[in-house]
Amino acid sequence: MYEHDVLIIGGGLAGLRAAVEVTRAGADVAVISKVHPVRSHSNAAQGGINAPLTDRGDEWEGHAYDTIKGSDFLADQDAVEVMSSEAGEAVLELERMGVIFSRGDDGKLGTRAFGGQKVARTFFVGAITGSAILHVLFEQSLKLGLNVYEEWFVTKLIIEDGVCRGVVAIDLKSGEMHTIRAKAVIMAAGGAGRVFEPSTNALICTGDGLSLAYRAGVPLMDMEMIQYHPTTLARTGILMSEAARGEGAYLLNASGERFMEKTAPDYMELASRDVVSRAEQTEIDEGRGIDGNVLLDLRHLGRSYIEAKLGYLQEVSVEFLGIDMAEQPVPVQPGMHYIMGGIKTDVDGATNVPGLYAAGECANVSVHGANRLGANSLLDTVVFGRRSGVHAVEYIKGVGAHSKTEEDLASEKARLQALLDRPKGERVATIRDDMARGMTKGIGVFRDQTSMEGALENLKNVKSRMGGFSIENKGKVFNTDLMFGLELEFMIDCADAVVAGALTRKESRGAHFRTDITERDDENWLKHTLMYQDDEAETGVRVETSDVKITQWEPVKRVY
Amino acid sequence: MPDAKQETMNVKLKVKRYDPADSGGKTWWQEYEVDIHPDSTVLDSLIEVREQNDGTLAMRCACRASICGSCGMKVNGTAKLVCKTRVVDVAPNGEQLIIEPMGNQHVVKDLVISLDTFFSQIKRVEPFLQPDHVPAQGEYIASNSSMENLLTSMNCIMCGCCVSDCTVLEVDSNFIGPAALAKAWRFTEDPRDGKRDERLKTLNDEDGGMWDCTRCMKCVDVCPKGVAPMDRIMELREAAIEAGNTNTSGYRHTESFYNSVKKNGRLDETRLAIDSAGWTNLPRLLDLAPIGIAAMRKGKLPPLMPHKSEDNQKVKDLYKSVEDES
Amino acid sequence: MKYAFYPGCVARGGAPELYDSALAVMERLGIEHVELTKAACTGAGVLQEKNLKMGDILNVRTFAMAEQMGLPIMVLCSTCQGVMSQANHRVKKDPEYLAEVNKHLAAEGLEYKGTTSVKHLLWALIEDIGLEKLKETFTRELTGMNMAPFYGCYMVRPTDALEFKANPTRETSLEDLIEAVGGTVTDFAGKTACCGFPILFINQANSMKMVANHTGTAKDLGADAMVTPCPLCHLNLDGYQPKARKQVRGDKADLPVIHVPQLIGLAMGMSEKALGLQKHIVSTKEIVRKAEALPTRV
Repeated sequence: MYEHDVLIIGGGLAGLRAAVEVTRAGADVAVISKVHPVRSHSNAAQGGINAPLTDRGDEWEGHAYDTIKGSDFLADQDAVEVMSSEAGEAVLELERMGVIFSRGDDGKLGTRAFGGQKVARTFFVGAITGSAILHVLFEQSLKLGLNVYEEWFVTKLIIEDGVCRGVVAIDLKSGEMHTIRAKAVIMAAGGAGRVFEPSTNALICTGDGLSLAYRAGVPLMDMEMIQYHPTTLARTGILMSEAARGEGAYLLNASGERFMEKTAPDYMELASRDVVSRAEQTEIDEGRGIDGNVLLDLRHLGRSYIEAKLGYLQEVSVEFLGIDMAEQPVPVQPGMHYIMGGIKTDVDGATNVPGLYAAGECANVSVHGANRLGANSLLDTVVFGRRSGVHAVEYIKGVGAHSKTEEDLASEKARLQALLDRPKGERVATIRDDMARGMTKGIGVFRDQTSMEGALENLKNVKSRMGGFSIENKGKVFNTDLMFGLELEFMIDCADAVVAGALTRKESRGAHFRTDITERDDENWLKHTLMYQDDEAETGVRVETSDVKITQWEPVKRVY
Repeated sequence: MPDAKQETMNVKLKVKRYDPADSGGKTWWQEYEVDIHPDSTVLDSLIEVREQNDGTLAMRCACRASICGSCGMKVNGTAKLVCKTRVVDVAPNGEQLIIEPMGNQHVVKDLVISLDTFFSQIKRVEPFLQPDHVPAQGEYIASNSSMENLLTSMNCIMCGCCVSDCTVLEVDSNFIGPAALAKAWRFTEDPRDGKRDERLKTLNDEDGGMWDCTRCMKCVDVCPKGVAPMDRIMELREAAIEAGNTNTSGYRHTESFYNSVKKNGRLDETRLAIDSAGWTNLPRLLDLAPIGIAAMRKGKLPPLMPHKSEDNQKVKDLYKSVEDES
Repeated sequence: MKYAFYPGCVARGGAPELYDSALAVMERLGIEHVELTKAACTGAGVLQEKNLKMGDILNVRTFAMAEQMGLPIMVLCSTCQGVMSQANHRVKKDPEYLAEVNKHLAAEGLEYKGTTSVKHLLWALIEDIGLEKLKETFTRELTGMNMAPFYGCYMVRPTDALEFKANPTRETSLEDLIEAVGGTVTDFAGKTACCGFPILFINQANSMKMVANHTGTAKDLGADAMVTPCPLCHLNLDGYQPKARKQVRGDKADLPVIHVPQLIGLAMGMSEKALGLQKHIVSTKEIVRKAEALPTRV
């Protein structure tokens, strides 16, 4: 048995930022991650991190409004106010830790333009901002001597008397299972891209954190809000950063037209992501695409500019598709990328379960509402990662000694053994594939009652097969086969919540666009959907709603 | 993956397997065959194996977009990031691909190696910013070119390919390694770091430090992100010398070579050997004796009065013009 | 074919048998050459550690001299090949840098325009003369002789500066030569690894391990000899083999290491003396005996 004051699940930006904060406060903290921290999916964020810097004439209210407008007014405005007002210091702190942000001529942090904002306030490192920040946070974790349970997979949260008291986890390298007791747990395990197919997300983004919290009684909020990123590389689904458009790239259809003019004459290619994805999908569906893609054109930027500012994109384009972006436009299409929905928290990362916090993509404060602006995710992770850490440190002062029981460990061991003992059945990969393709089909860029019900049916079918999959690898050491089975179970929970939310919300808002109900309905639906795991409910999900917090900005029609 | 076309490609793989629990330390080869999209990468084919043929195969992979660094492994004897290695590039005629775990690192299972070696090397260079002051407000002021310069090192995704194929690490696990040195370079080049001289001195003096690189360029060749660790190491050496670290035989070797060509237009091998050992380093000098004697007996000891290149005054003039410039 | 011949420092110094055997082979093939006696050392990558630009200037000077003569450069050494190719690559892709370098050469009346090519004798034989033509000069087939190829780092990396894409035969040049002379390739993992010469004076223990590993492994796999296009590799693999093998494996130096022109010379029927094979530290008597026992054709 292991014991800590604070245990953080996930070693990405949110997790490491929280860990740095808790370490500085002097509490005993550990991070547990199923991959080495530098492998976390925060790596894949490319374009930049937003921050209004007042000494440069920007105002945090401007960023807050852009964020709220981008969210199609579903974001909780008090949470956005917190994020926007803390953003400046959050980014400056990262620079002081050593992030190699790009600079202006005056040697101060330089910016680029980004989607949904008229002011350029996105700070960046080439097209590898996420990776650059993650690596620096990792360096800081080395400096602080952070304890990391590397390649340990959490299978269950320990909840005793309604309070979170730790986790049960497998040490993948040995296959041994352990209890790790903690006075507070911060869930920072990332998103759930693998619930869809294709997705820009890594294979590890299986919604573990979302499901673990869900099973512990925490509601998942606004799960129908799935972001399809406008520019994912044809055939491979690899993310091509919004930064390209931020630096001036055009989106063209088969006739060479900048089609964004039709739907977003003001912001053009830098409208909010859901608007751009829908515009692209329309071009493709109406026959003005090329093999299911539109074109991202960077030629006019010139080779040396592309290499300096967007080097990683050029690398990907050349290596994976053999296309030199300085010479040819790149085929791109909308691809599932981010989940605005997540574990419901307050502005300090606290959930309805005492002792359980959440931050980063797995959380929903809500700052992103129905659509996230580009470069706000990196901001979200460090702001709320820090705040969760701060609040957790305060919270644990009132928590008593650790209990020593290992009941959860015993039951988890039995549960996993039962999985291993199953007779030969279906392969996990086949079931996941069926589930994920069904989800993309039914809960896509455009959706309607029929498609969503189709997703529900598909999910029912998939769930009926969950009792029959088997694990081929019966060994202990690095049994990824078993892990994939456990991840599939987590993904099903997330899919349940997504479908339930999608069928509940009877309007179109942000990324949830229904072709059968195309208008936004503030009168009835200026609300969050809250999905609770409930065995009594027919689909296993009970949906409730809650009001959106409005402070300064009355919802208006969203025009780009 | 996005919809596969009707057309498929047959990929043959021979994978080195190892399970510490089962086979008592033995490794074995397992052959697989999959049919997959013609544009597939080696990783795509391995995932197909894992998902449809053999769930016991252990390997690390995550992003499939060459940014997370998880999927380093040896393909036909050379370390590669398999998510960006197209099958048609390494097996243009459908040849069987030999897949093994990365080298110079302990194998946990199959294609999974222990990350301990890699990260203990990284930790040795104190890989975090150590500024000598904190700005009163706002950010450190630094030029954009100084930050863009660091991109070369920041592009490192810690995949371990360079460590895997390093020919020095093959014979000496005490060498700090190409990844760590490339990471150290980043800090010596970062204008905000206050420990440049100390870093250079430590890596200069340390056993297994910057001078142990044998300049074989394997790391430059295998790095999937253009970090070119060996080039960074050469820059570290140049910087260390400039900063006054002249106490190594590496320095003496370089200095002697430079001066020899300046004086003679050519390399004076005998002089080089003695200079590198150090004129007052008796044990090292005596160590050179056997080879010198053997060479002499075979009639191939370089002349004690070195050959000069023809009209070598021109070379001396050239040195002068370059040295005057700096 | 005519070349501007650059033998390099070691061929005129510690490995004179390379120079002699190369000249003998070129004469037999009728390859015309003019030696670049005014050219300086390439720097071998060592000089470049102290001052990269100085190294580039010295090499571009050599290129300019050959360019004035209108001849491609031929080298005998992997290290010369690699260092020169890298310098050529750097100045060719950066006209501003080339202009800076040319500034220093102006005093000598030289200016490099970027047209010189540098080829190792091995590459010239395969690419310019052709293995078929080469085989016509052979008087014996070295059947039954197992040869382990050892390229030397600078001959195989980095592939862009060495123009591997445009010349794919460079990747297997040694193996192709071994087969052309009728020998059998003893393939081993270390054939493109490092011989340890660059760290000989810096970390001798590691250098010896490399020598012992490569020669020992090749011998274990049945090689009669190792052949290398680099005299620096040769210095280590031959010169230090006795010490290395004793220190690391506790056995004797029993793998002769020969230069590329010596291998070709054996196939051409040349004598031990003509090829300088008696000058090696590790005895070549056995392979000479084996070669001379093979039937010759007229």
